[in-house]
Amino acid sequence: MSEAVLIIPAYGEAETLGRVLAEVDRALTGYEVVVVDDGSQDATASIAEAAGARVIRHPFNLGYGAALQTGYKYALQRGASLVVQMDADGQHDPREIPRLAAPVVAGECDLMVGSRFLEATGYRHGFLRALGRQLFRGLARLAGLRVSDPTSGFQAMNLEVLKVYTQNFFPADYPDVDVLLAAYRHGLRVAECPVHMKPGVRSSTLHAGLRPVYYAYKMILSTWSASASGRRAG
Amino acid sequence: MTEEQQLEQLRHLFLSAPESDSARVIAIVLSLALVVTVLWMVRRRILREEYTPIWVGIAFAVTIVSIRADLLLALTRAIGAWTSSSTLFALGEFALLLICLNYAARLSKQSTQIKNLAQELALLRARVEHPVGSQGPPPA
Repeated sequence: MSEAVLIIPAYGEAETLGRVLAEVDRALTGYEVVVVDDGSQDATASIAEAAGARVIRHPFNLGYGAALQTGYKYALQRGASLVVQMDADGQHDPREIPRLAAPVVAGECDLMVGSRFLEATGYRHGFLRALGRQLFRGLARLAGLRVSDPTSGFQAMNLEVLKVYTQNFFPADYPDVDVLLAAYRHGLRVAECPVHMKPGVRSSTLHAGLRPVYYAYKMILSTWSASASGRRAG
Repeated sequence: MTEEQQLEQLRHLFLSAPESDSARVIAIVLSLALVVTVLWMVRRRILREEYTPIWVGIAFAVTIVSIRADLLLALTRAIGAWTSSSTLFALGEFALLLICLNYAARLSKQSTQIKNLAQELALLRARVEHPVGSQGPPPA
């Protein structure tokens, strides 16, 4: 039987997760909601359980990418035909999931990325993030992939993408344009649709201190690695 | 005499200086001490056997160049260095870089293995605590 799974990676999201799951409950039917608790020290797991989600708890903090991948592995074991991922900080609107997932369900694409920038949605972010986005867009374009929002964590995908994303190359920390590129290099069809996103309620540790510099460096390296591996089919 | 010729003469003096026996003995003793330390660590289960070849190899190489100083001198002449000790220092530094790279590669592999194990554990625990299709929480 084919399954639809909604993956929500969460680390220390007790503050926002309850509201996000309530919104999901109101907006969606037919999805198994899986919260991957990435070793949180707060009440993230118990809040998710109380909301009726399936909770997979990492024994210790592995990183955002690893939490996503655990969800992918679970979905793959379940034989899911459709997987949607969204963040636990409340920036993604679950009411947009049906629209995000429809082209994947219809077989029009394998991976659908929710983009903040395809249409004028009013979403704004700081200079550094804008610079990073332009850099990653450029890197993807060099490899032949055109995406307007390469750092979006709001995505829908099918089983073929899961098979790629559950491989060892998938980064444990920050999967972004590098994994989109890996999917693309494996011959999968990557598309985008416009979505509205709110700024994350909580400030991300990704943008603190020297992390943006490391992030940019690491992404350039992994994008190069992803573009060198695999071969674009068709 | 030009400055270049003076430098070359000085370098020749350095290279033809007699090797100190005490330095040679100290190098051999340190090499043997390294081997003994490695063996002791293996015996005490502090170091696994598969990590010993690189250290035993280094100790062996240092012993060889201590006994056959002419080999090191020939290498020093070949690479244009002034003293055997600077050649030895450069070789040692390069060897340490290679060792660090080797450990970084091992660490990368083990990070992936640990991540996979932790994920497997999390999935199994979820399956045991809430078997799919029987007692799992209701879908949203």
